[in-house]
Amino acid sequence: MKTYLIDDLQILQLHLSHYFQFNQVIKNSDGQPNWQQLLPNEIKPLIDEKPQTSAKGFFFAEQENLLIFNGEFFQETLPTPKAFVLFGMQSCDLTAIHYQDQFFKDDPYYQARRQQCLLVGLDCITPCKNGFCPTVNAGPGVRDNYADLILHPLGDQQWLVIEQSDKGVQAIKGLRLKEARSNALTKREVNLTHCEQLFPDDSYITQGIKKINAGNIPNTFWQKVAIQCLGCSGCTTLCPTCSCYGTRTLKQDNNHFSQQRFWDSCLYEGFQREASFNNPSVDAGSRVHRFWQHKFGDAYFTDFSRYGCVGCGRCEETCPGVIGVHSVMKRIEQENLDA
Amino acid sequence: MTKLINTICPFCGVGCGINLKLDNNDQLMGVEPQINHPISQGKLCDKGWSTAYAITSSNRLTQPLKRINKKFYPISWDEALTSISDELQGIIEQWGSKAVGVISSARATNEDNYAAQKFARAVLKTNNIDHCARICHSPTVAGLKQSLGSGAMTNSAKDIFSTDLILVFGADPTENHSILGGHIIQAHLQGTKLIVVDPRVTRLAKLSDHHMQLKLGSNIALINALLHVIIEENTYDESFVKSRCEGFDYLAQHVKKITPESVENITGVSAQLIRLVAKLYSQSKRAMIFYGMGITQYMSGTNNVISLANLALLCGHIGKEGTGVNPLRGQNNVQGACDMGCLPNVNPGYQSVDDKNVQEKFSQAWHTQIPTSPGLTSLGMTKAALSGEFRGLLLFGEDPVVTDPDQNQVKSSLKNLDLLVVAELTLTETAKLADFVLPAASFAEKEGTFTNCERRVQRLNQVLAPVGQAKGDWQWLKALAKQMGSDQLNWSTTEAVFSEIASLTPSYQAMTYQKLDENYGLQWPCTNESPNGTAILHTTSFPIGKAQLISVSHTDVDEMPDKDYPLQLTTNRLHFHYGCGSMTRNSPLLERETPVGILFINPVDANHLEIHHQDGVSVKSRRGYLETRAMLTQDVPVGLVSMPYHFKEAPSNQLTNTAQDPVTKMPELKACAVLVKALGEGEVPKTIAQLQQESSHENLPY
Repeated sequence: MKTYLIDDLQILQLHLSHYFQFNQVIKNSDGQPNWQQLLPNEIKPLIDEKPQTSAKGFFFAEQENLLIFNGEFFQETLPTPKAFVLFGMQSCDLTAIHYQDQFFKDDPYYQARRQQCLLVGLDCITPCKNGFCPTVNAGPGVRDNYADLILHPLGDQQWLVIEQSDKGVQAIKGLRLKEARSNALTKREVNLTHCEQLFPDDSYITQGIKKINAGNIPNTFWQKVAIQCLGCSGCTTLCPTCSCYGTRTLKQDNNHFSQQRFWDSCLYEGFQREASFNNPSVDAGSRVHRFWQHKFGDAYFTDFSRYGCVGCGRCEETCPGVIGVHSVMKRIEQENLDA
Repeated sequence: MTKLINTICPFCGVGCGINLKLDNNDQLMGVEPQINHPISQGKLCDKGWSTAYAITSSNRLTQPLKRINKKFYPISWDEALTSISDELQGIIEQWGSKAVGVISSARATNEDNYAAQKFARAVLKTNNIDHCARICHSPTVAGLKQSLGSGAMTNSAKDIFSTDLILVFGADPTENHSILGGHIIQAHLQGTKLIVVDPRVTRLAKLSDHHMQLKLGSNIALINALLHVIIEENTYDESFVKSRCEGFDYLAQHVKKITPESVENITGVSAQLIRLVAKLYSQSKRAMIFYGMGITQYMSGTNNVISLANLALLCGHIGKEGTGVNPLRGQNNVQGACDMGCLPNVNPGYQSVDDKNVQEKFSQAWHTQIPTSPGLTSLGMTKAALSGEFRGLLLFGEDPVVTDPDQNQVKSSLKNLDLLVVAELTLTETAKLADFVLPAASFAEKEGTFTNCERRVQRLNQVLAPVGQAKGDWQWLKALAKQMGSDQLNWSTTEAVFSEIASLTPSYQAMTYQKLDENYGLQWPCTNESPNGTAILHTTSFPIGKAQLISVSHTDVDEMPDKDYPLQLTTNRLHFHYGCGSMTRNSPLLERETPVGILFINPVDANHLEIHHQDGVSVKSRRGYLETRAMLTQDVPVGLVSMPYHFKEAPSNQLTNTAQDPVTKMPELKACAVLVKALGEGEVPKTIAQLQQESSHENLPY
């Protein structure tokens, strides 16, 4: 695997757009960063901003048919996407995809899309609002083997292009690129270390994780916090590692039907309710507790070799009830839990 | 995710900014909040998040339908318009213009509503035009108009973050206006005092510093006692009252004997708490009142609103940042529908239909004589339909069969019409009764503007092509007008409709589409004197000069519990649903959250009646009977049960009272007396449709 130096990123963008459906984060008319598909003639300079919606929907569709029945036969509806590139994905979201890759390992719908995708990662060299990726080992630099290629900004329009997989090697084959000197990777390490130092103090998060796992947060605490859970589903919708889904049958008049799956949220009362009305997490407090247990619980660490939270901070930004990750962790810290 | 188009959420009056996400095939995949939107700032409630389900339902109407006996048959737009036009003209020839009318929609755009009232006034020649504000905030318009001179939220959403005390009166904002409710939570966590006045233990009540859990319908008694304490302890704003208000002496006299102790029995609130709240509210530097249906949906609705205005005026908590009397408007565009004059007594911009100058202004602008006497309200129309005086109704985007009081009466009166035309997204309960059903374009399929509760006029962008042959409301109204030989509605673009609105509605005078785009909308009044809009009303004077302190007195609710109907029923809304549920119930997630129909009941009452959690129960009032499931909760006090009205299977409006506010005809939806019983063990609650089918074979079970 080699590392190259490139001083015109557009060359790489155009090259990839020739072989892949090209997707990149751009801003819409409102200044809102979001993933968009771009034609070669629409390609814009790469921006270093966290899109509000992560890239999980590229693989785990928000709504999709799993099968259809046409009155006579059941038909499979596996997607057959063209090869596509997600260009410039930040480390938090790449870490989340790595997490989802494990969760959806045997899911043919997810994998059909995932196989077709080239991931081009982007190192962050400044912290983003509400982000705390270093604390949960998810950034700011792209983790090894979480992308096919990594981009690292060196300043003055200079970029490092770091090969991470055979797919990545193949993707830039034919591009005449200058190999970077060995000190370039050192420069990257320096930049990333500097970036980590710029993150505000978030020791309350580390403390909170400890307390959650020590199991000494009383139910009454979660019940109090959960008064503020309006059940909007914003956190689970935007969380790049949330993967819960529901299914339903959509019937049509002519005896046709389809089985649809759609994003679900464990914060809904109905999520775990059984047909008998029995519900293991009937009160909002136990649902909120469960959610954070899934994000920071040691049991998940064992299964996935990391926490379920990648430190993007999106839940903090979107929670109308002010119980996103920072707010909750600060409350855990402030609460005198032994009392 | 290949396209992200910004528009405005179609649910409540908060007016959050949403982006609709389309895939490669222009299919609506989902939504995300606008991070830069001045109100929602990257947040949405559950309804907002589920918008994609709301409008992509497979039940959407795609072509005009005609009902023959009990079945609907698809017909062409041409045939529909010709038939409707002929029938309308026939009714007008035989019975006069007073026999026809329009009910427009607080969910439709300003442009659609403007077209609806112009169609009524300039084409049908009647002021029989109304919309659902009748059953939510008509007392606000009437009450605040008398007290302050303008019936709208006096301040802005952002003021929540610049006040010292928030008083939430008869409103449940975290469920119904969730993003504003969230702002209130946030402000409270940052140190703003929070006081909640509500018979139910709402989410905000649980978080508040003080909860005044008053008895149903005792608002005025409570407020008068607050006024009493504030005057007695001399903590009112004397200079504000002197310079800006009239009626103080009379009010002081009026409340002199209304001590907190004297209202303890009526209100159920301790004198001590009343004194404390009076002190906190009057002595705060800035204090802000929010209120909702717990104020307006009473026979005393208008007086309740006046009472709240008295409280704010007396303490000078108005006309400044972080203060005011702020109604939380229910529907996305209920403010706009009122502004557009979809009311039987006022033209656009609240210009009275019986004012000679106004009549001349509109006759000249529209080049036609317009009707000069006030028309019928929506309930007036349904009542007149029963007696045969009213015979033809066009209605869009509303479902009065589910949402209006005394469902059975509404149904029979709509059935009595010669012509009922309903334009809708799906075949609602009301549409099922129509002679013609027209397929309407959803908010994502059209351009236009909505006006939110803080008077912010915001632009919608068209995201999708209309489903099938669906049309925007002003477009089909234009086609119908043309069919009737009128070119009154001959606009070529939605922007042209807005330009006409701005030219005739003083508070919209300086608005243009371009300016709305550039500013995330503008708050009215937006005039040549205030071209950038107005965040706070009444800063230096009131539209009526001096504000009026008006003395009002407590009256009991119309129907108190008795031995036959021992429990009190009130209505509430659920976070997960909106109005009649015709949009939110398409979401598999929201639909799963609750059984179809719920009765909230205190465990003490439930125990006494041998009702367990989730048991089937029957609920009976003097007007109707239904079956639903019981939810045991401490959130309602003993003696009070509560039902949401979202579910057509168990519609609370089978039960509710039609007793009305004498000023606005607002029905007393918030209080009636009921009898609750457990169904037999394991018995599944029957839907109202099943019950009614049974009753056509035998008598109802009461």
